Amino acid sequence: MIGPRSWVARRLLLGVAQTAAVVLLVFSLTEALPGDAAVALAGDQPDPERIAAIREAMHLDRPAYERLADWASGLLHGDFGTSLASGRPVSSYIADGFGPTVLLAVLTMVLLVPAGVGLGVLAAGHEGRFVDRLVSSVTLGVYAVPEFAFGVLLVTVFALRLGWLPPTAVGYGTDLLDHPAALVLPVLVLLSRPVCSLARLVRAGMIDALASPYVAQARRYGISGFRIRYAHALPNAIAPCAQQLARTVDWLLCGVIVVEALYVIPGLGTVLINAVAERDVPVVQGLAVVFGLTAVVLNLGADLVVHRLAPRAGVAA
Amino acid sequence: MKTLAGIRPGRFTIGLVIIAVPLTLALLGPLLAGEPGPRAPSFTLGGGHWLGTDFVGRDVWQQVLLGGRSVVLVALAATTLAYLVALPLGLISALTHRTWLEELLMRPLDVLLAVPSLLLILLVAAVFSPGAVGLSLLVAVVNIPDAARMVRAAAAEAASRPAVEALRMQGETWWRMAVGYVGRSIARTLAADAGVRLTGVLYLVATAAFLGVGVAPDASDWAVMVDRNRTGLFVQPWAVVVPALLIVALTMGSNLLFDAALEKPHRRKGNGCERGR
Repeated sequence: MIGPRSWVARRLLLGVAQTAAVVLLVFSLTEALPGDAAVALAGDQPDPERIAAIREAMHLDRPAYERLADWASGLLHGDFGTSLASGRPVSSYIADGFGPTVLLAVLTMVLLVPAGVGLGVLAAGHEGRFVDRLVSSVTLGVYAVPEFAFGVLLVTVFALRLGWLPPTAVGYGTDLLDHPAALVLPVLVLLSRPVCSLARLVRAGMIDALASPYVAQARRYGISGFRIRYAHALPNAIAPCAQQLARTVDWLLCGVIVVEALYVIPGLGTVLINAVAERDVPVVQGLAVVFGLTAVVLNLGADLVVHRLAPRAGVAA
Repeated sequence: MKTLAGIRPGRFTIGLVIIAVPLTLALLGPLLAGEPGPRAPSFTLGGGHWLGTDFVGRDVWQQVLLGGRSVVLVALAATTLAYLVALPLGLISALTHRTWLEELLMRPLDVLLAVPSLLLILLVAAVFSPGAVGLSLLVAVVNIPDAARMVRAAAAEAASRPAVEALRMQGETWWRMAVGYVGRSIARTLAADAGVRLTGVLYLVATAAFLGVGVAPDASDWAVMVDRNRTGLFVQPWAVVVPALLIVALTMGSNLLFDAALEKPHRRKGNGCERGR
């Protein structure tokens, strides 16, 4: 038998292992470069000066374990190294892109739960009828659609045809809150997949809960349908679904990268894509650590919350 | 088309209709495309080009005909590859009685599960600039942890049945137990999971191509078309809208189709939390 405390301990341990794995994985990237890393990274401009500069910036003349130790201890102090392309510290790239990305993430999370739960409850309330079939089919269809295809179609309709919203966030800088119109489409696209997944889970949970004996008993007591639905069935419907919220974290992180590229929002995703295109490895590594650790922490948090809400649901650890 | 028991005809038909257009274009398009004509000015409409021209002046309709194959083939290859690794991993760890072996096989995958899939792909792309083969390998790797967990969970249930104990006592070979009994009894679950996974893989392959991973900058690929022709959206929207609609139809249709086709006949309405990436 495994007690709750040891479960939490095991889950925390897994989180630590995942953190270490992310750091190692990201670091091993430079080791995986074929041949001389500095020459490989110089790419199109293989002049000796640039190769020497790369070797200097990445300390490639020192053994791998020393560099790993240095890099990892630097991470703890917020020192992510310096960019190969510009020579600026990677942390300044992260500081620049942080605001827009967090704004997008927070807005999406704030809207995700009411929208997803609302749609799910609506569908469950009309089980088997037109509203339910409509919501189920649309959510099932939309949740597999890549954000970029969906987003580009929304731009065509709302920016090009109707002219209601700006097509991209170009020209607004990082101060997006002052231009809420530029945020509508990105947040809508970012919401599309997680909302569908959440709505489907809530619908399934609600239908199961409404068919359960305790709801039948509550009905016999003459408790109002409203109270049964929202005070009794809904909490039980949500608890097992919360387990799947961790999956949503993965989608949101992927989605942020795509949405920022699509709407030209100067956030962390754009910085990452630009660094990948320029093969600016230190910047890619720094951002990968930020994204990877965010995912690890959010997964851990989601699992712990689920464990608290629904101890019966077995969460992998 | 075989009609399985318990299929909701509505959703199955809708899925089939939605996916028919992009799938036909993807499979037969390259045969119909013909020779590329001379390049015209970029982002123009008319002039003998049914859907206008793209960012380097190629005929958009011809690019549409050519551009579906890579998405579909890479996705199919990646899904197959992921199962080629995940299936033995899951079966071995489900059937073994040695805890250390199971831990050794499954723990590293648990650790990998936390890394966002697109991030892993971008990380590798920063260093290697993979081609189509590299992209399918990458997408396969990203899908292995989850697929292996799924196989193991399904196989562990089948492996704990008395029938397997009986086979073991009769001294049947591991192969016969794992493939002949356990493999066969989880086939339906596997098929359902493969359908969901293929949809997720389609998503990932298209998104990676949109971000420029695994494709040439001027490749004939629907996702690349959306990306590259975006600059001319206001002049020549067809070069973006048509490939975007095809990708939407492909992913949406495959999800609707698999959901309807693989629905368990005895499943109660609204039961079960679906999975997917």
